[in-house]
Amino acid sequence: MPHSDTPEPYRYTLAERLYLPLLGGMWVTLRHFVGNLLGRRTSYTIEYPEERRAYSHRFRGHHILTSRPDGSLRCVACFLCATACPAECIHIEAGEHPDVNVEKYPVVYDIDMLRCVFCGYCVDACPEEAIIMSNNYDMAFFNRASSVVTKEELQKPFTYDQARLGYRPRYPEEEEQRARARRELQAGRVDLVGEARRRQEAAAAGPESSKSAAASS
Amino acid sequence: MIGESWVTTTVDKLEEWGRNNSFWPLPFGTACCAIEFMSVVSSHYDMARFGYEVVRFSPRQSDVMIVAGTITDKMAPTLKRIYDQMPDPKWVVSMGACACSGGFYRAYHVMQGIDEIVPVDVYVPGCPPTPEGLMYGILQLKEKIKRDSKRRLKEKRAHGDDSGSAAA
Amino acid sequence: MPTATIPAPPLLDSLPEGSVEVVEGLDQPTWIVRRDALAQVARQLRDDPETQFDLLLDLCGVDYPDRDERFEAVYHLYSLPRAARLRLKVPVLEDDPVLPSLIDVWTAADWFEREAWDMFGLRFEGHPNLRRILTHEAFQGHPLRKDYDPARRWILTEDKIYKPNPQPTGSESVDDMFERMTINIGPSHPAMHGTFRVVATLDGEVIVASEVEIGYLHRCFEKMAETHTWQQVIPYTDRLNYCSSFINNVAYCRTVEKLMGIEAPPRAVWAQMILSEFSRIMDHCVCNGSTLVDTGALTNFWYMFQPREEIYGLLEACCGARLTVSACRIGGLLEDLPPDFEARCRHLLETVPEFIDDVDKVVTKNRIWLDRSVGVAAISAEEAVDHGWTGPCLRASGVDYDVRRAYPYDLYGEVDFEVPVFQGGDVFDRYRMRMEEIHQSLSIIRQLLDRGMPDGPYIVDDPHVALPPKEDAYNQMEAMIYHFKLIMDGIQVPPGELYHMVEGANGELGFYVISDGSGKPYRIKVRPPCFPIMASFSHLMQGGTISDAIATLGGLNIIAGELER
Repeated sequence: MPHSDTPEPYRYTLAERLYLPLLGGMWVTLRHFVGNLLGRRTSYTIEYPEERRAYSHRFRGHHILTSRPDGSLRCVACFLCATACPAECIHIEAGEHPDVNVEKYPVVYDIDMLRCVFCGYCVDACPEEAIIMSNNYDMAFFNRASSVVTKEELQKPFTYDQARLGYRPRYPEEEEQRARARRELQAGRVDLVGEARRRQEAAAAGPESSKSAAASS
Repeated sequence: MIGESWVTTTVDKLEEWGRNNSFWPLPFGTACCAIEFMSVVSSHYDMARFGYEVVRFSPRQSDVMIVAGTITDKMAPTLKRIYDQMPDPKWVVSMGACACSGGFYRAYHVMQGIDEIVPVDVYVPGCPPTPEGLMYGILQLKEKIKRDSKRRLKEKRAHGDDSGSAAA
Repeated sequence: MPTATIPAPPLLDSLPEGSVEVVEGLDQPTWIVRRDALAQVARQLRDDPETQFDLLLDLCGVDYPDRDERFEAVYHLYSLPRAARLRLKVPVLEDDPVLPSLIDVWTAADWFEREAWDMFGLRFEGHPNLRRILTHEAFQGHPLRKDYDPARRWILTEDKIYKPNPQPTGSESVDDMFERMTINIGPSHPAMHGTFRVVATLDGEVIVASEVEIGYLHRCFEKMAETHTWQQVIPYTDRLNYCSSFINNVAYCRTVEKLMGIEAPPRAVWAQMILSEFSRIMDHCVCNGSTLVDTGALTNFWYMFQPREEIYGLLEACCGARLTVSACRIGGLLEDLPPDFEARCRHLLETVPEFIDDVDKVVTKNRIWLDRSVGVAAISAEEAVDHGWTGPCLRASGVDYDVRRAYPYDLYGEVDFEVPVFQGGDVFDRYRMRMEEIHQSLSIIRQLLDRGMPDGPYIVDDPHVALPPKEDAYNQMEAMIYHFKLIMDGIQVPPGELYHMVEGANGELGFYVISDGSGKPYRIKVRPPCFPIMASFSHLMQGGTISDAIATLGGLNIIAGELER
């Protein structure tokens, strides 16, 4: 056997034998303690539910069924989302739509929220951008029956506003930002390290800005 | 005049207040959700802000069981036993898709929801739920307990009045 | 990638005629061995100086109901001194699924053989304890056989639970000064991380015998993979090692990409490497944090968990979920990187080391921790290899094996990093190893960021693999058809089989995939790095106290999702 058969454990240094490094450790904890007590250092805790962590616009939360301008669902009951779903939590029953151009619409569109694993495959699969996800994670149910959300609930989620949209296929605002960032980077105008440092300093400066910075980073 | 019912209902209220603001959770953590549960108790989310930081691993000292993670058929008897060991009153929070319904494991060794063996008070969806999601669920449980105890109090009061009138 | 050398012919000549058939595999040489010759072949492969296959990486069964010899046991071997790989396949009949046990050759075979028995009903003659390992005692049948219904459950009742009573074996003279006591720890015990059960027999305070029971989180990953399309398996891989799910994603996608003969574009590879290294940091943080909290150093748990929150922020910005990311797709990434990706990474590079340094100052030289960890559960390099260890735990024992170095996949050949090695093989060195690796990972990330983000697409431009851009799917007929086809039928992977590995956070994470050309995987076997490590836990506990065992388990970084799949 080419491998050694006796382990050689670590040998203590003299300082370690004398418990001296403990003082260094105590200094660390003391520094944190006093710093937090006096509020000089930023506290990492966020005060949920008053204060929320800033999640990105890709967050995979509660689903939303989008509507056409006339208020009807965009969904054409093509079953792609139900097929793509690894948890098989989407239940659709299709019906004949009065408008021949649309052909089909979902009579029933239920998602079992307790089965759902929020993988976003339904959003990827949808060819109509009819199902997207919101930024909403505040969900709790008191029984299994109420966890099956119907199309009416999915169409009017309680947090449907532009700011709280989550995972969806296109991010036009991000595209713009990315293009700008690339241009600036190529022009050598942007200093990423300096920017990160500035952000950190800003975080250290005031508790108001610090919390938002800590939450976003 | 201070009647007997006034004393008992006040004590009840006090008890409910204390109970609501100091759950002692028992984390029955098995899988991914347990990692998010750890996030809930660590510094960024810090469940201690609600008074729920006394995480007890002994069922005899806890009143809320947070089932975080997949429960398999092999684990099921253990879960049931631990639930039975908890003193009343007790509540169960089912955290995450696996504990709630089996999630996407429709499989030969996975329990399709812990409500097969223990009663669940709050289901928190997500795979795993974000720490905020779990905290929201626990706060919902608090509301539920408040509601229940109000109802109980009302019943008791009605009952107390009845017995009073009967005595008169 | 260096390919394995074909073992020397003299070895083959010495075997009986027809006992070994050499086939060229897609990835590594494959020998089809008759089962009568298996024990001899295995022993010679290990001992022959020309081959020296000292590491048994994986053993799995495969079921081919259409073949005459229905089952196949597949062994994956690795030779550390020669850096060679070899696959052994042993076909057996359905009526007589018996093979010789290889425990005498590689101790690592112990649990692997039990798993193959449990899942396929392969019997290993000579195995001392061939019990079910992943499923429970009341289970009937062998679930990974193709004719087993994936949803068929069996209910375990309390009276059927296995009650082990481990007794010291052999001639070890145990002085019976104290009363013998058997105690049960787990499965619901905080120090057992929720899902393991240890039954230990104590003589006074010293553990003289123990038995480890796992399977409390057996979620049937492999069966589920067979019932879903290739793309749908990705969310399942997240939940294997959930502390570093991104690495699992990458490992799986790389394997399938290799089997399909496609390559992810440079931008995706670059991002996957960065996020993999961040995931490794998170995993090490969880491991060291929980080891320290198990030994009573609670403060460090909080220091260690904060960098994780910061990294979660980055992952969430990339893919929309914190823990179970599902961020990779076969052929690239789920989405393009967020615009502030580089700035976020730079920010993390500055903030993460602060926390690590704090922990370093508090514990690394602290004698209280040293006394709890130095020399505890020490394992020599030889034993560790024999038990099939890989990853940080093996390197802590003094064996310099890192997949990133031995088989530089992605860009690992182009970045400069060290593979730290320690000689102690104890809890302290495993802890030190992880702290050191965090720094190495940070250095890798820094170098990658300095190279600059490659331009170009984030996923391969192949309509048979990647979904067409949404814009096209909405408006163009052709793209729409591809879109429908991909979702309805899934990715069509050509028939074949392949083993591919990456360096996971706790060792070599391998995927052995078999495709039969239908839209679904025929068989996916994960080579979980912590499975052989956990198998030797009983050995490690021997002679220590319960408190040592607790510290040991934390330091091994056993992740139940990956261990039991």
